Amino acid sequence: MIGSPRARRAAALLVCYGIIGAFMVFFLFPPYWMAVTSLKTNQEIESLEGIPLIIQKGATLKHYVDLFTKTDFLVYLKNSVLVTIPTVLISMVISVMAAYALSRLGFVGAGLIGTGVFLVYLVPDSLLFIPLFKVIGGLGLLNSKWSLLVVYPTAIVPFCTWLLIGYFASIPRELDEAALVDGANHFQMLVRIFLPVAVPGLIAATIFAFTVSWSGFLYPLAFIFSSSEQVLTAGTVTSLIKGDVYHWGGLMAGALLASLPPVLLYAFLMDYYISGLTAGSTKA
Amino acid sequence: MEQTGRRQFLKTTAAGAAAAGVVGFPRVSRGAGKLALGLWDHWVPGANAVLKGIIEDWGKANKVEVTIDFITSIGNKLQLTGAAESRAGAGHDILAFSTWDGTFYKDKLEPMNDVADAVIKKYGPYNENAMYLNRQGGKWVTLPSPIGSHTYPLETRMDLWKKHAGIDVQAIFPADAKKRDKKKVDAWDWKMFLEGAKKVHAAGFPVGASIAENTDSNDWLGPLFATYGSFPMDEKGNITIASDATLAAIDYLKQLVQYMPKDIYGWDDASNNRWLISGKGSAVFNPPSAWTVAKRDRIEVAAQVWHHDAPRGVKGRFRGSLPFTWGVWGFGKNKAAAKDLLLHLSQKEQQWKTITASQGYDVPQTVAFSSHPVWTEIEPPKGGQYNSPVRGDERLIVAGWPAKQEIAAQIYSKWLLPIMVGKITSGGTAPKEAVKWAAGELEGYKRG
Amino acid sequence: MSPDTAAVHAASPARVAPARARLLVHLRSRSAVGVVMTLPLILLIVGLVAYPFVYAIYLSLLNKRETAFVGLDNFRFLLTRDTFWLVVQTSFLFTSLAVVWKAILGLVLALVIHTLPPRGQRVWRGLSLIPWVMPLALSSLGWWWIYEPTHSALNWVLVLLGFSPKSWLADPFWARFSVILVNIWYGTPFFMITYLAGLKSIPQELYESSAIDGANAAQRLRHITLPMLKNIIAITLLFSTIVTLATFDIVRVLTRGGPRQWTHLFGTYAFELGIASGDVPLGAAVSLFMFPILAVSAFFILRGIRRSTS
Repeated sequence: MIGSPRARRAAALLVCYGIIGAFMVFFLFPPYWMAVTSLKTNQEIESLEGIPLIIQKGATLKHYVDLFTKTDFLVYLKNSVLVTIPTVLISMVISVMAAYALSRLGFVGAGLIGTGVFLVYLVPDSLLFIPLFKVIGGLGLLNSKWSLLVVYPTAIVPFCTWLLIGYFASIPRELDEAALVDGANHFQMLVRIFLPVAVPGLIAATIFAFTVSWSGFLYPLAFIFSSSEQVLTAGTVTSLIKGDVYHWGGLMAGALLASLPPVLLYAFLMDYYISGLTAGSTKA
Repeated sequence: MEQTGRRQFLKTTAAGAAAAGVVGFPRVSRGAGKLALGLWDHWVPGANAVLKGIIEDWGKANKVEVTIDFITSIGNKLQLTGAAESRAGAGHDILAFSTWDGTFYKDKLEPMNDVADAVIKKYGPYNENAMYLNRQGGKWVTLPSPIGSHTYPLETRMDLWKKHAGIDVQAIFPADAKKRDKKKVDAWDWKMFLEGAKKVHAAGFPVGASIAENTDSNDWLGPLFATYGSFPMDEKGNITIASDATLAAIDYLKQLVQYMPKDIYGWDDASNNRWLISGKGSAVFNPPSAWTVAKRDRIEVAAQVWHHDAPRGVKGRFRGSLPFTWGVWGFGKNKAAAKDLLLHLSQKEQQWKTITASQGYDVPQTVAFSSHPVWTEIEPPKGGQYNSPVRGDERLIVAGWPAKQEIAAQIYSKWLLPIMVGKITSGGTAPKEAVKWAAGELEGYKRG
Repeated sequence: MSPDTAAVHAASPARVAPARARLLVHLRSRSAVGVVMTLPLILLIVGLVAYPFVYAIYLSLLNKRETAFVGLDNFRFLLTRDTFWLVVQTSFLFTSLAVVWKAILGLVLALVIHTLPPRGQRVWRGLSLIPWVMPLALSSLGWWWIYEPTHSALNWVLVLLGFSPKSWLADPFWARFSVILVNIWYGTPFFMITYLAGLKSIPQELYESSAIDGANAAQRLRHITLPMLKNIIAITLLFSTIVTLATFDIVRVLTRGGPRQWTHLFGTYAFELGIASGDVPLGAAVSLFMFPILAVSAFFILRGIRRSTS
C-alpha cells in the first residue's frame, strides 16, 4: 500500500472521521433544523429568500415565550410529568418483583410466564388500542391521563422484567441460601443482595421506562381529548397546530422542548444505560 | 316549546337522577345538574369564546354545571373522540359530529325528533342537505348544528382573476342576489373556469384544489361530479359510477389539474388556506376560514378575496358543504337538559350571535337564517362574503349523496372520489380501470 | 451481613440441622411468594394485553354493525381489496428496506467508532443516540417541516446542488422514501449501540493473531467480526422487524397513509378503518394480519436467544 504505516493510519483515521461526520450530519440535522426554526422570526420562516439553514435576520425567543404564555404547553408538560413518574415507579416495582420471582422462586408455570411475557411484545399498540377503549372506558378512565398509567406498564414491564431476570439469574444461589439460613425473608434478600448487584440493569430499566412513558403517542391520541388532560407528545402534534396557518416556529419550539427531558436523561446516564443493557443481554 | 323542555328537565333534576359515580371521566355522571359538551374547535379566532359564553350563561340560568371541551378536527381528533366514547359507553353528553360521523353511531344516539320538530315549527324548514344528513329512517339521529357548518364556494382573488384572466367575479356575483345578470351567471361554467385557470397559472398564480384523503377534496370533487350528472350510487343502492357522465367529468379534471400545483395530492385540510393566504394562490374551494386568517395576518390579501358560486355543469350547479351535527349519547345521564340546551342554541337569538362571532364562516342550516346581515356587512371587501350562503341556483350537497346514508358515509370517509381521481390524474391509471376499481369499492361498502 | 460472612456462618456445623429445617419451610412457601410477586405482572398482561387481544379477535369476526357473527368474512373481504394488498406491499417494502439499512448503517458506524481510540468514542456514541432518544412523534414533526412543500430545507439543498425539488409527501414514491428515511434515522442508533457493545466483547487476541497471519481489514471483518457478531445481528434484525412492522407514529404524522394509501402500514390502516370510517371489526382484522408475521419472527428470536445462552 502507499506510504508508511503512520501515513496509512492517518488516512484510515481521516476516512473514519469522514464517515462519522456524514453520520453526524444525518443524525443531527433534524434537531438542528428544528432549533434554528424555533429561533427565527415568523417573517424569516415564511420568506423564501436567503439561506434557510442559518438565522439571518436575528434570533428571537418569541416562539418559546408564546409557547409558555399562549398555549397549553405547560399543561401538557405537567401532565407528562404526572404520568411518567408514577408509571416508572409502578413499572419498576412490578418488574423487580416479577424478575425476582421468575429467576429465583421456581414455581409451576414460571418458565411459561417468562415466555409469555416476551410474547407480549408481539402485540403492538396499534392492535390493542381499539379493544382497550372498552377496558379504559369500563374503568372510567377515558379522557383521563391516568388511563396511561394503566396501559404504559404493559409496554414497559415485559422488557424490564426480561432485563432484570438476566441480572438476577447471574447471582450465585449460595448467597440466597446463606441469607435464608440467617433468617432473611425474601423481601430482605431482594433488597439487600439482588438489587445492589443489578444496579446497572435497574438504571437501564428505569431509563427505558421513562422513555416509553414520555414518548407514548398512540395511546394518548386515542384515549385523551381534553387539553387539560393531554400529554406533551399528542398535545404538541394535535393542539399546537392552530387551524389553518401552521406556526412552524412555535411548533418546532414545542417539539424540541418536549424532546429535551429524555435527551438530558440519556446525556447524564448514558454510560449506565449502555452497560446496563448490554451486560444484561449477554447474561440472558 | 322551550318552556316545556325546561319543565321536563327540571322534573328530571328534582327526581334526583344520580348516576353510577364513575371515577375519572365524565364527572358529569355524578348527578343531574351537569352537562359535558365536546364541541368542534372553531378555526375562526374568537368564535369558541362566544359560544362558551352563551352556554355558560344558559348553565347559570338553569343551574346546570357545564364543562366544554373544544376538540380539533385536525388529525381526526374529533372523530376519534366519537369512536372512543361510543365504544366506551362513556363520555360527553353532547358531542359535535362532522358531516357523516354521527351516522356511524346512530344506534347509540338519542333521537332528536322533539327538538328538530320544535325548531322547524318556529323557524321553518332546515335545508335539504341537513334533512338528508340528520333525518334517517324517519328519525332525527342528530340535530343540525349551526356551529361550524359551512359551504364550499370559490374563494377567489378577484384582483388576480380580473388582471390575468379577464374575469370579474365580483361583477358576475355581486353582493345582492337581485342584481345578478342571468346571462353572466349562466356563462360561468367549467369551460370558462378552465380558461381562467389556464391564464392565472401562466401568470404564476394558480388555482389550487386538493385531490387527497381529506374533506376539502370530497367537498369540491363530489359537487363537480354531480354537475356532470355523475353519482357513485343512487338512492336504491344501484352502483351508478360507471357512466359516461363520470368519464366526462374525469376528462375535465385531467385538463384542470395541469394548471394546479403538483402538491395537491399531498395536501391536508389546511393546505388550501395556506395557499391562498400566502398570496400565491388565486382561487380555492373553501369556506371563509382562509379569508378570516388573512384578515388578521395579511389584510392586503384578504381585501381582494371574493366568495362566489361554483361553475355550472351540464346538469346544473352544485356546491359542496361540510355540515356539523350535534348528537346526544344514549348513555348520557342528563339527556333532557342536553336537549334543552341544544334547543336553546338553535334559537335565532343565539345563532345570530354565533354567526357574527364566526365572521360569517358558520352558515346555518335553517333556511330562514341566511338573512343575517354579517355576509353583506363584513369587510374588507364589502360584500365579499355575501355569496357564502347559497344565494343562487346551487344545490348544496355532500359527497356520497344521494346514496343511502350508511353507504354515503363510507363513500365520504373512505375518500372514494379523491382516490379515484388521483389514480387517474397522478397515478396514470386509465379512467375506465379506475372507475371499475371504484365500483368494486362501492360493492364492498354495501357489506353490513 | 456480607455474602462471605453468611457463607461461613452457614457452613458451621452447629447451625446445619435447624438451618435445613428452616430451608425446607422456606422452600414450601417459595412458590406462594413467587406467585404473589408475579401476580401484578400476570394481572397486567392478562387484563391489558391478553384480554384485549382476544377481544380484538372476537371483534374481527363480527360484521360492521357488530350485530352478527360473520366468521372469517372480514379477512376474506380484505384479501379481495386492492387497497389491502397495497398495504401488504408497503409494509413488506417498508420493513425489509428499513431494517436492512438500519443494520448496515448501524454496523458501519459501530465499526468506525470502534476503531477510534476508546476515549474519543464516547462523544460520538452519545451524539448518535439523539435520534433514538427524541420522542418519535415529535421528531416526526421536525421531519414534516423538513419535507414541507414550500419551505423544505432538503429541497433548498437539492436545488443548490442542481437537482430538482421533490414532492416529498405528495408523490407516492417519494412519500414512501420519506417515511422509510425517517425510520432509518430513528432506528440506526439502536443497531449501532448494540453492535458496538458486541464488538467490544470480541477478544482482541483474535485480531492480533490474524494480523500476524497477514489478514487485511476486509478479511478480518469477514472471518472474525461478522461470525462473532452473528447472534447479535440475528437478534437485532428480528427485534427490529417486529418493531418496524408495527410503526404508527411516523406515518400518522407525516402522511396519514397517503397519498392515495401508498404509505399505509397495517397499524395506520387499521386506525383509519376502525376510527376514521367506523368499521372497527374490519380494522381489527387488518391489525391481526400482523400477528402471524410477528409470531414467526418471535419464534426465531426465541430460538436465537436460547441458542446464544446455552
